[in-house]
Parts: sequence; structure tokens; C-alpha cells
Amino acid sequence: MENLLEIKNLHARIGDKEILKGINLVIRPGEVHAIMGRNGSGKSTLSAVLAGNSNYTVTEGSVTYLGQDLLKMSPEERSWAGIFLGFQYPVEIPGVTNVNFMKTAVNEHRRQKNLPPLSAAEYLKMMREKMAYVEMDPSFSSRGVNVGFSGGEKKRNEVFQMAMLSPRLAILDETDSGLDVDALRIVANGVNRLKTAENAFVVITHYQRLLDYIVPDVVHVLYKGRIVKTAGKELAAEVEAHGYEEFE
Amino acid sequence: MEGFRYIPKKQLFDCSVPLTGARKFFVWDGVPEGLPFENVSSLDCSADFGISTRVERIHYAPRDAESSLKATIIKPNGEEITQVISVRVSPSPLSERTVIECSPEGKYNVVLCSHTVGQERFSTKGQIEIHVCRGASLDLVVMQNENSLSRHESNYRIRLEEEASLSLNIVTLHAGNVTNRIHSLIAGKKATCNLNGLYLADGQQIVDTDVVLVHNAGESVSSQLFKGILDGNSRSRFEGEVVVSPAAQKTEAYQANNNLLISESARASSDPHLVIYADDVKCSHGSTAGSVGDEELFYMRSRGISEKEARILQQQAFAGTVLEKVAHPELRERLSHLVEKRLRGEDTLCAGCSKRCC
Repeated sequence: MENLLEIKNLHARIGDKEILKGINLVIRPGEVHAIMGRNGSGKSTLSAVLAGNSNYTVTEGSVTYLGQDLLKMSPEERSWAGIFLGFQYPVEIPGVTNVNFMKTAVNEHRRQKNLPPLSAAEYLKMMREKMAYVEMDPSFSSRGVNVGFSGGEKKRNEVFQMAMLSPRLAILDETDSGLDVDALRIVANGVNRLKTAENAFVVITHYQRLLDYIVPDVVHVLYKGRIVKTAGKELAAEVEAHGYEEFE
Repeated sequence: MEGFRYIPKKQLFDCSVPLTGARKFFVWDGVPEGLPFENVSSLDCSADFGISTRVERIHYAPRDAESSLKATIIKPNGEEITQVISVRVSPSPLSERTVIECSPEGKYNVVLCSHTVGQERFSTKGQIEIHVCRGASLDLVVMQNENSLSRHESNYRIRLEEEASLSLNIVTLHAGNVTNRIHSLIAGKKATCNLNGLYLADGQQIVDTDVVLVHNAGESVSSQLFKGILDGNSRSRFEGEVVVSPAAQKTEAYQANNNLLISESARASSDPHLVIYADDVKCSHGSTAGSVGDEELFYMRSRGISEKEARILQQQAFAGTVLEKVAHPELRERLSHLVEKRLRGEDTLCAGCSKRCC
């Protein structure tokens, strides 16, 4: 099967500080990968680089997504091509309502596919359906994007957006941080409902607990900007039991 | 009078802020192009042009060669919106005086629009006198949409009596060089005075705002929110002063000026101040000038919203906090629509107008 994503020897820096020091990773359709690692190991940098955040500079290596050079694409082009980043810290956008934000996003995606924009009624129907995935109250749609949302609400909003855009490759950057058990279950259920044989997920986390709900096919341990160990889902339990020390 | 029926629709300036039930008054300072008669020194007619709303009355202000004074006295009707559309077509300088008189206990809605038609170097001096009597409330929206060569100086003289309430929203959609000078006196207790402004400028445009708001009686509340989006080489200047006199105890006064600079060469200067002589008051003021947030931009782009759309969404959001102060939903929506078109660099003409005045 064709690889969805192929990362080769990826090096990236922020300012003068090199954070990624040679990442290699292959993701195929239908797979769920977990990337675990300590703070500062480069997990968030990897997700930011994949989504096209210009604060990071790629100094070496390549990223191929469905045969295309991902690093040459703008953030919006990556989104249109099916990449989604669930933010660790979703951004608040005062004055832009959730409904306006997502409607604009959905219709831009449709425009790229030469589809007509959704009517208000069609959008509303789709929105209600996807909001139900994450048990989100429809009243959130008229509020400013993430403004005044609790940590759990913000993460649910990320998964809702993911459901609206139905990406081929979703990268969830510490979606579990700041969630209580109930919110964690809701978010994980939302993700599981979106899993198909065609798409893939990269779940970035510190802890095993999210991986009890979203069961990975492959677990990677990231340490000082490199993947130091790759194994099956049992690796997550090992990390949980012994910590990251053994990889040092 | 009969002649009006035969004017091609497109040659009439149609400021179709589509307000259901609004009474529209067009005030021209010259003979609009296409009028089929020469002497229209005094017109007062009622005609239905079948455009968007019924045009109740058209005034033609006669003028001499040098300059002229045009006076409009507005006595709003409690139930309706009174919309006065001032259209400049004649290039010589014009002074205009507009008086808005609000009777005690009444609730009033007034919209003042100023437009220029043609590419002349228009110069307008306006005096707008607003008297809100005891217990009355006035919702006043001023829409400025003039060409880039125009110069417009508006002096607002406002007086609020006891328990009177004013919400003034000035939307400067497009103008060459505009000064809005507001002097507002809170003369009676428990009055409310909200002064808001949104200015959009690009090219070489200049927007100045001067506010002096005096609290002369206690237990009153005032707030000011002036926001600008500045592109190109445009300039804005805000000077705001709130004076709380010794008698005005329990005053609440808030003042803010925020500017969004979307080009490297746009400039905003801001000078808010408070002068407080009473001791039992709540007052605050502040100003900001900044560019768009990169984090917000990246977040939106990561959802597939193109950079251009994302910037427009941000600018709309920035403008939205002023526009939401416009109480009338239909008018608010119309203004949002015009602001969006302006931000997109599209025509901000009122629908149906054939004049390329901006």
C-alpha cells in the first residue's frame, strides 16, 4: 500500500536551537501511531513542522505526503490535502464565531475540490451531526472560537473540527492534556468514530492513559529529537511503568 | 415635480441601507446628474422610485458660487428610523448644520450618511448638534463614505440631560481626510453616553478623532470605543479626554482606542486621558496599536482557511466589537456587510448606486 507519510532524516530548529535531529517515520493508511516522550523531546515541534508552522525551520531531510513534498506546501494547502493538526493549546480568536470559522474552513475545502459552498441549512445539519460526536452543545457554535472555553471544551472543539474536515492524516498534539477522565473518554470516542481504513492518526502524548482509549498500532519514543525506540502498543505500558530513563 | 418619475433609477444615488420602515431623506447639495430640469431650488416631494424603500422627500439645498450653508433639523419620530443621506455632488466648499432634537422620554433612531459623488476635491464642514432631553434615548449611526480626495470635518456638540441616553456610532468606511471632533456634555444625573467609532483607512487617507467628554453631573456612565484598521500609508490620530467634574460623583467612564496596523507604513497615534476631580468614580482608559496575531493566523490556515481569508476574518472580528454596539440588527448587518466589502477591497458603494465615488 502507498505510504501516507514518509519522514526521512528530518532536522528542524527554532531560532538557533536544533530540536529535531533526524526523525524517520513511515505512516500507512489505517494506522494509528503514538509518539511518546518527555517535555522538550521534540513532540510538539514535529507536529508543528508537519502542519507548516513557520516559526520552525527545517534544515535537513524530507517529508513526503501522498507522493508530494509536504515541506513546500503552505499550511492551508496541507489542510486541503488532508492533514489536520489538533493543537495542544487551541488558539482563541475573539470575534470570530465558531460557526463562521468552521463554515469558512469547510467551504474553502469544498472550493478546492470544485464543489459549491454548503448552504446554511446543509452546514447546520453537518455541524450538528459532528458536534454530537464529541457531545458538544450547539450553543458553542455562536461563541468566539475557543474564547472562554474550558480546557476540555477546547479539546472537544479540536476533535469537532477534525470531524468536520475529515482528514486523511490527523496529528493530535497532547489532546489528552488537561482533560479529566470523562472528557478524555468523549474525545477518544470522537477520534475512534473517525477511524477508517483510509486515514491515519498520530497521537502525541506523555501518558499511556489516552492510549487505553485510542489503541495504537505502533508506539514510538522520542528522545532529544530522535525516535529511539519503536514497538507495538505494549511499549506504552513499558514507558508508563519505567518512565523515560531507560532511553537516556 | 413630475419630472422625478422619469429619472432613470440608476442615476439616483441609492444609499440602500435596507432598513425596513426607515424614513429616508436625501439631501443633495447640487443638481444630481440626470435630473431632467434645471431649476430645482426648492424641492419637497414624495415619490416612489421602486428601489428599496420609499423615498419620502428630497431636499435640494440652494447654494452660491463660493460656499453655502445647508441646515437640516431632524425631529425623529419615535417609532421609525430616520435616515438622512447627504450626497455631495457640487465641488465648492460646503458648511452644513444638522440639529437632532430628542424630546423628553422618547426613543429615537437616526442614521446620517454622507457620500460624495464624483472625483472632485470635496470639502465639507459639518456641525452636528445633538440634544437628548430628560429620559430620552437616541441611537445615532453616522456612516461616512466619501472619495479619497475629500476633506470632511465634523463637529459634534452633544448635550445629555438627566437620565438621557446616547449611543453614537461613527463608521468611517472610506474618506480622504476626515476629522470627527466630539464634544459631549453630561449635564444631568444618571445619563448614559456611549461614543464609538470604527475607521477603515488605506492609501494616503487620514482619520482624526478628537473627543472631549465632560461629566458634569453624577451617577452617569460613559464609554468610548474607537477602533481603526489602517493599511497603506494611512494615518490615524485619536485624542480623547474625559473630564469628571467635582460634582460628578459615582461616575463611571471608560475609554479605549485600538488600532490594527496591517501594513508596515500605516501609523496610528493615540492619546487618551482622564482628568478627574471627583473621588468616588470608576474610570479606565487604554490604547493599543498592533498587527494581526500570527498564532491566530496559523491556527486558521491549518484549518484550510487561506491567508487572505484568515486576515479578513481577523479584521472583521476586530471591527465586530464596534459594530455590535449598533443596536438595530438590520443596520448592524448592513454595516458589517459594507465593512467586509471594504476589507476585501471591493466596492463599498451602496447597492444600486452607479456612481464611482470612492
